[in-house]
Amino acid sequence: MNKTTITAIAEKDIRATFASKKIWMPMVILAVFLCIFFPAAFTYIGLHTELLNHSSEDLKKPIEQVIKNFSIEETRTTLAALPTIGEQVVYFFLNFMLTPFFLMAAIVNSMVTSSNSFAGEKERKTLESLLFSPLSVKDLFIGKVLASLIPTLLIVFSSFLLNFIVINLITYPFFKQILFLNTTWLILIFWVIPALVLFNILLNVLVSSKVKSFQEAQQFGGIMILPIVGILISQVTGLFFLSPFILLLIGGGFLLGNALLLKIITKLNDRNSLFESQIH
Amino acid sequence: MANIIEVENIQKEFNRKPILKDVSFSIKEGSINGLLGPNGAGKTTIIRLLNGVINATDGDMKVMGLDPRKDGDEIRKRAGIVTESASLYHDMSAWDNLVFYSKIYNAYDPKRITQLLEQFEMLPFKDQLVGLFSTGMKKRISLAKALLHKPKILFLDEPTNGLDPEGISSVIHYLHKVNEEEKVTILICSHVLHQLEDLCDSYLFLKEGRIIEKGILRELEDKYLTDVRLLVETGLRPQEGSHYNGFAYEVKGTNKLEFLLDSKDEIAPLLRQILNDSWVHSSVIINRSLESIYFKIGGIDHE
Repeated sequence: MNKTTITAIAEKDIRATFASKKIWMPMVILAVFLCIFFPAAFTYIGLHTELLNHSSEDLKKPIEQVIKNFSIEETRTTLAALPTIGEQVVYFFLNFMLTPFFLMAAIVNSMVTSSNSFAGEKERKTLESLLFSPLSVKDLFIGKVLASLIPTLLIVFSSFLLNFIVINLITYPFFKQILFLNTTWLILIFWVIPALVLFNILLNVLVSSKVKSFQEAQQFGGIMILPIVGILISQVTGLFFLSPFILLLIGGGFLLGNALLLKIITKLNDRNSLFESQIH
Repeated sequence: MANIIEVENIQKEFNRKPILKDVSFSIKEGSINGLLGPNGAGKTTIIRLLNGVINATDGDMKVMGLDPRKDGDEIRKRAGIVTESASLYHDMSAWDNLVFYSKIYNAYDPKRITQLLEQFEMLPFKDQLVGLFSTGMKKRISLAKALLHKPKILFLDEPTNGLDPEGISSVIHYLHKVNEEEKVTILICSHVLHQLEDLCDSYLFLKEGRIIEKGILRELEDKYLTDVRLLVETGLRPQEGSHYNGFAYEVKGTNKLEFLLDSKDEIAPLLRQILNDSWVHSSVIINRSLESIYFKIGGIDHE
C-alpha cells in the first residue's frame, strides 16, 4: 500500500465531486430534504398545528394498536403518556420511521460517486494512463473507495448533526427529552451506515470496474435501494423494529460482506484483466 | 550502445485471434525508433506488452533488463507513455493534472513540473483547465506528464494524431529536444510517415502482426530504392526530347527537370555535366521518402 498514491486518487476524486455543482448539489439537497427538511416540517406541523389531531379518528386506532403491542416498555409508557395524537405520531415517526430516510440518503449518495469511479475514468480515457503507471490496482481500488466513502459519510454525519439540533429545538418543549441521543440511533449512524455505505461502494466499484459505461454502473447500483424499501415497510407496518441488537447484527453482516467483496475484487481485478476488459 | 529493449518471438492472441506473430526486435539505448504500420497491425499491442499491462501468449521480452510479466511495476516506474488520447483530466488545470500524475509516479517535485511546463512552453497556461486547451496544447501537457518521473524510455502511441502541421512540427521538435537533453530512448508508433522521417534513427515495419522489415533509413533506402528520381532546378534546356547525355528526364515546370537515374552514384556526374552547360540552384531526391520505402516493403510478399 502506498499512502501518497491512494491519497492522490482519493483527493482528486473528492475534489472533482465538490468542484461540480451538478454532482454535489443533488447529493446535499437529497440529504437535507430527507434527513432535515422533511422530518422538521412533519414535526412542526404535528406539534404546532391541529392537522394531525383533526384526522385523529383515522390515526387513533392504528397508533393505539402500535402503542399497545410495542415491545419496548419504556417507549410504550412514554408514548402512552403523550397528551395528543399529534405528539404521539411525531414521537413515533422521529424515533422509528426516520431510520430508512438516513439509510436512503447514504445509499443514493454513495452510489452516485462510486458508480462513477471506474466508469468515469474509462469515459474520460484516463484509466489507460493510470494502468500504465506504477500505481498498484489495489491502491487504485482503495483510493476509489475512499473517494466515495468520505463525501458520503461527511454528508450523512452533517445531516445527522443538523437534524439533531433542528428537531430537538422543535420538540424539546413538548417531549422534555433529547431525541436521537440513544443507543439505537448512535449505532445506526456510526456503525450500520458506515458499514452499509462501504458495502454499497465496494459493490458499485466492483460493478463499475466491470461494466462498459457510467449508465450501466448506475443501473446495477439502483438495486441496492431495495433492502431500504424493505426496512421502511417493516418499520411502518410494525413487522419488526430495529433494536440495537438487530442493528449491531446488520452492521456486522455488512462488514462480513465487505470482507467477502474485497476478496472478490482483488481476485477479479489484476491489472491484466482490468486492462483487457476495459481498454480497447 | 547497449540494447534497452529486446523482444524475441513474441506471440499475442485475443480470444484465440492472433494479434502478434513471432515478433522479434531490439532497440538501442538513447535512440529514437519508429514503429510503423497500418491501423490494426499490432503497434499499440506491442507498447502494452512492453509495459506489462497485458501479457504475451508466448515469447520473451526484456525492457531495461527486466521482464514485463514479472517486473511490470519496476518497468512502469522507469518508462513514460503518451497514449493516443491525451489522458488528462479536463476539469483540472494543467498544473493540477501534472501534480496528480507526479504523485501517482511517486515523483512529486514542483520544480520539475515548472521546468517541464517551461520546456513545452506551457507555463503561462498552467492554471487554465485542460478542457479548454487545443489538441496541440493537450499533447504538450501529455508529453510533460510522461516525463515527470524522468523516464529512461518514452513510448508514444500516435503522438501526432489530430494535430495541425504546426502542432506536429512542434511535437517533433520537443521529442528531439527530450532525446538530446534527457537522453531518453523513444519508441513512436505511427501510421503517418513523413513526420517521422527526420526524427527517427531506425524503423520497425509491422504488418498484420509481423515485423516485416527493420533498420536505419539509409540501409532501407539502399535495399528498396533501386532507382533515383532527382529533381533539379536548372536553366538547362536539353536538345533531345527525353534524354540529356544519356540520362532520362521529364520537364516538371519552369526551370525544373526530373531525372531518372539507376543509382545515387550517377548524381555527381550528372550535376557536373549540367553545370558545364548551365546553372543549378537545387537538386533533391524525391523518391527517397520513408513513405516510398514503406509502400515498397508493404508490397513485398512476406508470407
